[in-house]
Amino acid sequence: MPTCKECRKFYPLEEDPGKGDCVQRVIDPRQAYYKAKPVDAEKDAAKCSEFEKNNQR
Amino acid sequence: MGETAETLKEFEQKQEWWWAAEKKRSRRLDYLRKAMWKKGAIGGLYPAGLYIDLERPVMQTEKAKELEYSPDPYVIKFAKILAHVLDNKTIFITDHSQLVGYLGSLPNMITWDPTLAAILNHEVVNDPTSIPEPMDESLKIISEVTGYWAGKSDLDKILPHMDLDDAMKVLSGAVGWGVPLSRGGYSGKDYEYIMTGVRAFEDIIAELDRKIDEADEKAHEPGATREICDLYDKMNMWEAMKITLEAGIRYGKRYARLAKIIAENFEADNDRRQELLQIAEVCERVPAKPPRTLQESLQYDLFIQLFSRNEAIEGAWPARPDYYHGPYYERDVNIEKTLTKEDALDLAGEFLIRAAEVSQYKVKWAREGLQGIEGTWVWTLGGVKKDGSDACNGMTIALLQAARLVRVANPTFAFRWHPKVKDNVMREIFECIRQGLGYPSIRNDPILIANAMNWHGHPIEEARTWVHQACMSPSPSTKHGFQPMRMANATANCAKIIEYVFTSGYDHIVNMQIGAETPDAAEFTDYQQVFDAWVTQMKTIFSILVRPVNRARMLAPKMTPRPFLSAVSERSVESGLDVCDPSINRGNAWITAFTWVENADSLAAVKKLVFDEKKYTMAELKDALANNWEGREEMRLDFVRNVPKWGNDDDYVDGIMLDCLHAAAKFSRELKCPSGNNWPILPENVSGNIHYANIVGALPNGRRLGDALYDGGISPGPGLDKKGPTAVLKSCSKIDHITDGRAFLLNQRLSPTQLAGEKGYQLWKSYMKTWADLGLDHVQFNCVSDETLRSAQRDPEKYQEVIVRVAGYSAHFVDISRKTQDNIIQRTVQGLG
Ligand code: SF4
Repeated sequence: MPTCKECRKFYPLEEDPGKGDCVQRVIDPRQAYYKAKPVDAEKDAAKCSEFEKNNQR
Repeated sequence: MGETAETLKEFEQKQEWWWAAEKKRSRRLDYLRKAMWKKGAIGGLYPAGLYIDLERPVMQTEKAKELEYSPDPYVIKFAKILAHVLDNKTIFITDHSQLVGYLGSLPNMITWDPTLAAILNHEVVNDPTSIPEPMDESLKIISEVTGYWAGKSDLDKILPHMDLDDAMKVLSGAVGWGVPLSRGGYSGKDYEYIMTGVRAFEDIIAELDRKIDEADEKAHEPGATREICDLYDKMNMWEAMKITLEAGIRYGKRYARLAKIIAENFEADNDRRQELLQIAEVCERVPAKPPRTLQESLQYDLFIQLFSRNEAIEGAWPARPDYYHGPYYERDVNIEKTLTKEDALDLAGEFLIRAAEVSQYKVKWAREGLQGIEGTWVWTLGGVKKDGSDACNGMTIALLQAARLVRVANPTFAFRWHPKVKDNVMREIFECIRQGLGYPSIRNDPILIANAMNWHGHPIEEARTWVHQACMSPSPSTKHGFQPMRMANATANCAKIIEYVFTSGYDHIVNMQIGAETPDAAEFTDYQQVFDAWVTQMKTIFSILVRPVNRARMLAPKMTPRPFLSAVSERSVESGLDVCDPSINRGNAWITAFTWVENADSLAAVKKLVFDEKKYTMAELKDALANNWEGREEMRLDFVRNVPKWGNDDDYVDGIMLDCLHAAAKFSRELKCPSGNNWPILPENVSGNIHYANIVGALPNGRRLGDALYDGGISPGPGLDKKGPTAVLKSCSKIDHITDGRAFLLNQRLSPTQLAGEKGYQLWKSYMKTWADLGLDHVQFNCVSDETLRSAQRDPEKYQEVIVRVAGYSAHFVDISRKTQDNIIQRTVQGLG
């Protein structure tokens, strides 16, 4: 079962790597931005359509 | 470049200021302005592409459920829910931006707070235009959230403690609008406490810790007193305040972290990388510590505004950005020169954009009443300092210039004019008006300072700190003077006063007895009886609206507390009492008087045609009104055309206007707020003149049910001011703008052709001199030609950016209803000179 911590979009907190932010690039009809939402490193990513395997971490 | 310069000139010559602005602004501002999702509803519906944000309601509900069986008192639970949202909501940073923070999870999301009122939640369920896809899933979430908060929302909790009779009359929508909630209205801020650079969140937290420790010690000394009992509540309140401030600091740091992640992992452009690292530094600093730079100051202010709007629906944005950010502008631009004027202009412009995109889901009648905008965010500029000296500074100019570049319709500005304002500032104001922004409106500072002292007893140094609490009403931004919540339901649809004179208080639109059961108007034998009935109806309507507000203010501290707003308010930090507690508030209440002038014109028509000339009887008039003038067109036109109308310097009708105002002013001193202060009236309209068109029945001024009402305040009826601008000013100057009411809105339309060039400026300046000499407190201008407005009606796509002054606010012309558009075109264009 993949988890968020294996995802390229996951950025762990230095002080608590069990938690982190899911950071994504979004381009909507008006603007481009980066968004972030707190996630747990161990969160199940199986159903996440945005999951991208991180090969560097 | 040559081609661009020429095109810019062409646009300026054609007075197509919106295209000129696009050419003039920096690339950053151009990107950010076009990136902005406009949130104002059009015809009561949100524009395509906007969606109700379900993220926050879900978080609020899950946290509330989790806390349901916790032993925490309500105020602490409430603070924890707020903190949970700030800690977990999605945040974003838009390309090119330097200021960050938004209420919703994404830029095109409208936040919905399900904890406020079941009536609001029901509208969400039934709003198919803005429910996000997939619809089934969203509806399931909405139904769960709405179900959970049914019976638990603020209004559900408060209503059983209200007088049901009053509540039903208010909720009928006939005589007032808004609901009496401390988390739904207009919240002032104690800027003198929080925005003067002396303290920020960490300092307040340290103070709160001291307070809690002291209280805890006292509460456990040998002895038992009432004071000790009160301390338990105070400690809870201080604790709740602390929770919200700590969450605010963490929220800032979340942005710092995101900016750093983008800079280090995504951004290839070195300049942008530096900007992102700068954002990170700023958000590490504020709101925890006091700002040091203009960027930090603006960011700090923005965070405070957003936190407060996470706590409540705020329909206004009382602020004085030049006064509180000016010292940072001065230091960065003029003393330390760490910022160029152009950079500062970019920041000022972006600050306007960040504010313009803020949105909170509102009930449909509020969206209809505020066509095209999110709320009445009237920012105050200019004015005097506490010592009476001129407060204008570099930031005043920067904001006025930035407004012309970004051309947002909300926020708008209102300028506190006083005799010491320098000519260069007046020229910047004139440019905004000439370029068709519809703002700033101009306020007469000496008159309004005296007015604040007269009506509410604010000491002069405090009165001089005043900001616009909403569109029009001044409120100090001081410890005891600032108004934590103006509950909007003390907003009277005053045309009902004269309508009810003829129906003995029965409202035939909503089919209920709302007004007083005054004697049958058909039996009146002289004008005095008509006027006496008018006074009785006025007193009845005002009382119906004021009583629920007073009651809600008494209930608010315990039932609907505001821990965050309390935490940034000196009086609450000091006392441990909720910011809405009347005992620590001087009081600054007012009744907004929508659709006011119809009363004077109607009474004048009755007096002249029925009692002076005896052309008609009261029975005939009553019958004509009951039948909406049907079959009586000739008679109706007599009432329209052959009687004096307000705004023409005619003592006959002007005297009646004064009689009405004096009666209302007298009663205003009998109506008391829970702080023991007065309830003066304030005639103005937002776009209530259109909203109420189908709610107000036929009137003796010749108006039929369905016709737009006058555009408000003390503005003459559209097209009825036939004697020129000086006659309008003279009529208005018969009112004592200090003692007859809290403020009086005056709309004027000017010709853009006449305002061209230096001559135009001089003409306007001399008009303003007359206005000031006559002692009026307010004036605002529309300066877009009929031709442009008609073209915009024909071809809205091409005129998306044309702005007009609606009433106490501005809106993009294409975003307001056809009826309001026509109403603005009908207003008389006044020739100056
Ligand atoms: S994209 Fe999905 S899997 Fe990846 S971090 Fe975000 S939530 Fe987790």
